[in-house]
Amino acid sequence: MVMKRGTVLFILLLIQTFLLSGCWDRTEVNDLAIIMGAGVDLTEDHQLELSVNLFLPSPSGQQITKQSGSEGGSTGLGVSIVRTVRGATLAEAVSKLQQYVSRELFWGQDEVYIFGKSLAEAGIYEPMEFLLRHPDVSERANVFVSKKTAKEVLEVSPPVEDTVSEALREIARGRTGMDITLTELAQMMAGKSKAAVIPMIDVKEKQSTNETFPYILGTAIIKNGKMVGSMDENVTRGAMWIRNEVEKATITVSRKNERGAVSVLLFKSQTEVDAHIDGDRWSITVRIHSVDDIVENNTDQDFSIPDHIEELQTDLEGDINERVYKALDLAQKQLNADIFYFADAFYRKYPQEWKKHSDRWDDIFPNVEVNVQTKLSIRKPGLTRKSFFKLTK
Amino acid sequence: MDSIQHLLKRLKRSGRKKKSVIYSGFKEPEASKELSDDLHKNLRSLESIYGHSSDVIFHNFSIGDHTEAALVYIEGLSNTEEIDRHVLSPLQQRLQMRLTLDDIRQTITVSSIKRVQTIGDVLDEISGGNPVLLVNREKQGLSVGLPKWEKRSIEEPSAESVLRGPREGFIETLNSNTAMLRRKVRSANLKIKSMNIGSYTRTKVAVAYIEGIADIGLVKEMINRLQRIETDGVLASVDIEELIEDHPASPFPQLLSTERPDVVSAYLLEGHVAVMIDGTPSALVAPITFFSLFQSPEDYYERFVAGTAIRWLRYLFLGISLLGPSIYVAVITFHQEMIPTALLLTMANSREQIPFPALVEAILMETMFEALREAGARLPKQIGVAVSIVGALVIGQAAISAGIVSAPMVMVVAITGIASFMAPRFTIGITIRVLRFPMMLLAGFLGILGLILGLLVIMSHLLTLRSFGVPYLSPLAPLQKRELKDVLWRAPRWMMNTRPRLTGEWAPYRQSHGQRPGPTKGDEGE
Repeated sequence: MVMKRGTVLFILLLIQTFLLSGCWDRTEVNDLAIIMGAGVDLTEDHQLELSVNLFLPSPSGQQITKQSGSEGGSTGLGVSIVRTVRGATLAEAVSKLQQYVSRELFWGQDEVYIFGKSLAEAGIYEPMEFLLRHPDVSERANVFVSKKTAKEVLEVSPPVEDTVSEALREIARGRTGMDITLTELAQMMAGKSKAAVIPMIDVKEKQSTNETFPYILGTAIIKNGKMVGSMDENVTRGAMWIRNEVEKATITVSRKNERGAVSVLLFKSQTEVDAHIDGDRWSITVRIHSVDDIVENNTDQDFSIPDHIEELQTDLEGDINERVYKALDLAQKQLNADIFYFADAFYRKYPQEWKKHSDRWDDIFPNVEVNVQTKLSIRKPGLTRKSFFKLTK
Repeated sequence: MDSIQHLLKRLKRSGRKKKSVIYSGFKEPEASKELSDDLHKNLRSLESIYGHSSDVIFHNFSIGDHTEAALVYIEGLSNTEEIDRHVLSPLQQRLQMRLTLDDIRQTITVSSIKRVQTIGDVLDEISGGNPVLLVNREKQGLSVGLPKWEKRSIEEPSAESVLRGPREGFIETLNSNTAMLRRKVRSANLKIKSMNIGSYTRTKVAVAYIEGIADIGLVKEMINRLQRIETDGVLASVDIEELIEDHPASPFPQLLSTERPDVVSAYLLEGHVAVMIDGTPSALVAPITFFSLFQSPEDYYERFVAGTAIRWLRYLFLGISLLGPSIYVAVITFHQEMIPTALLLTMANSREQIPFPALVEAILMETMFEALREAGARLPKQIGVAVSIVGALVIGQAAISAGIVSAPMVMVVAITGIASFMAPRFTIGITIRVLRFPMMLLAGFLGILGLILGLLVIMSHLLTLRSFGVPYLSPLAPLQKRELKDVLWRAPRWMMNTRPRLTGEWAPYRQSHGQRPGPTKGDEGE
């Protein structure tokens, strides 16, 4: 009424911009094929084989109750299926995959990427390039290398979680092994040392119950984009101590002159890596500080006595050192892959020297002297001095 | 392009031609005329003004030594029993005497008697329920304060009920309302100024404030704005509200309407001004801020911890009420990666059979909800039950089974519906509900980007709003840290030492410091 006609016209034109353009990039959830996990393999004829684990809502819109022991693939809400395509590049494979799926592929929820071992050994530069450029891919997704083909892993239907992707993600988050996201992998691959670690998985099959489930086998070591070797679980723990990634640990040592063993549970741990350059001598000091609680004592020793605690601490430190040296030996001497960020430690402390010698890092790294100083302290020996059950003897 | 410019030019030109309407109003031409000393002449002019209305009573009688007199009143507005007992019978007992107007005044046993000079005064008194006594050979009349009309009894205000605290609410009669206020604030500094607004309704409007606390400029401004009103009638407080607002086109209320005398008293004590209108059971308080619309009297009648918690709950649900469906629409049509995987799978599952886009679904359901609410509010109680049964079907399992809407959408609509009723003031609740729809459209067209755009528009509008000179978002913008005590939390009584600065700067302190109770406080007196 009071409004001028010009204002009315302006508002009308403004509304037109919405009405005429429409919801051009709108996508409804029921037009999406939600990718839960993706895997890339290398075929014999050197093509990339992309397998995706798709979630399809149940057609009726009703909940499907999961029947135990039934044929795999059905989750509580719908069906998860695996589609596989081949292509010269990952981008080509993805566009081909779209032809096989009626709905628009949605990468935003994909939290697991698996590289088959054959591909990892041939090089993961190409798929990584695509995954990091694609706007939909979530960089927080976990990365794995699988001993079997990625397709085989994705086809597993684990008994505990709904999909294999979910199971893998939970295993990685459990932090007993490496937990590497796409971003971290890219940072490691593009970092100073060009070396990276990726957790390696395998599928365990139980013949009796027809159950299959994935588990973490160890760690794959990547150098210059190619898998050069792997560590078993024990060595992985050693590498994790150096990388300051240990969050949960139970360390068990058997005692000299005693029968039985003692287990301690990690409370917290902190690792510092300190670099020194003295002329031509490049050296690294790794200081591990760990605080632990005793959780099991099968020996006859009474840990309320300080001497016993000190002995135990020395033993435990020795155990950690042993693992750390194993990891160092493997990475330094056998594979020459700096997976411990030593290059960054040198760069941080001696940026000038690093600039001069960065080209020669592959020659320097195997000869870097590494000093491991482990300090472990038992925080709580507990009120239970000796084992209850041995007292009666 | 040319044609558009041409069109714009034409529109501009036509816009310039403003028809100016001059409201002449209605004024009784004889209102300013003085009463004459001829009774019959006075009566004749009154009769012609009232046009022989059947409810106007002209009672002719004689007093003293046969002096003619007349009592004029309106049937049903004046207490006839009292007139008989206190006016007519004492006057008719004093025969054989020449009575002057002062003598008559002494004779009538009524406490409130006023002299009236002009026809206009006579008319005002009569329509206010006061019978006017006109005596022959006197140039003045006497208005006798004996009004009496039917009025509602004082009840608990249904829209603002509390568990603790007073249960009385304003009624339609202004005198009772001002009396209720006076009972709460007994100081003589409580001033009530009244005026008549509306050329036909002549509605009595009272402005209440506490002298010494309220800003004199504010009181003057309020009276000035009220006096500027030229209209034929004022029937409800909204009529006044819409004529004195700072930003009349804004969807946000700039005056607070309340039915509770305790709320009005509390605002008066903070230096606000209240306007009370005869015929409306609610008072208008000005100036107000956005946050005062989210303060319920209950906050102050409960312990301050509970009051604070409930206040925060209200702020949270203010956000849900405004943005609930739009966030849902934006996230599910544009930003699926933001939803936790497990939740997205559930949503995808429930949306699988739905034929409409989420935006259409949301607008459909929200419109249905508003329709149900409106139907339920307007219907008689007996039929209202039917509406709620239908409502449970429309927003419920039946709608999901029919495959028209998805279960999460029903949840969102239901939660939003409840959220919009969380606002303690109905006016702000309905504002938020209306703004929800453009927000939904923006979310449906542009996703989160549109949502932010919409929020920016709303925020910048709120920032420009002022209620009687007080910024609408104060004390948050402009920030006054000390005054957040009644916004971020409900400070306990012993901490509320100062009045809000923008309304109470004339008397900044409302209580002495160190009111915090404790064991030592009591010992001090010994």
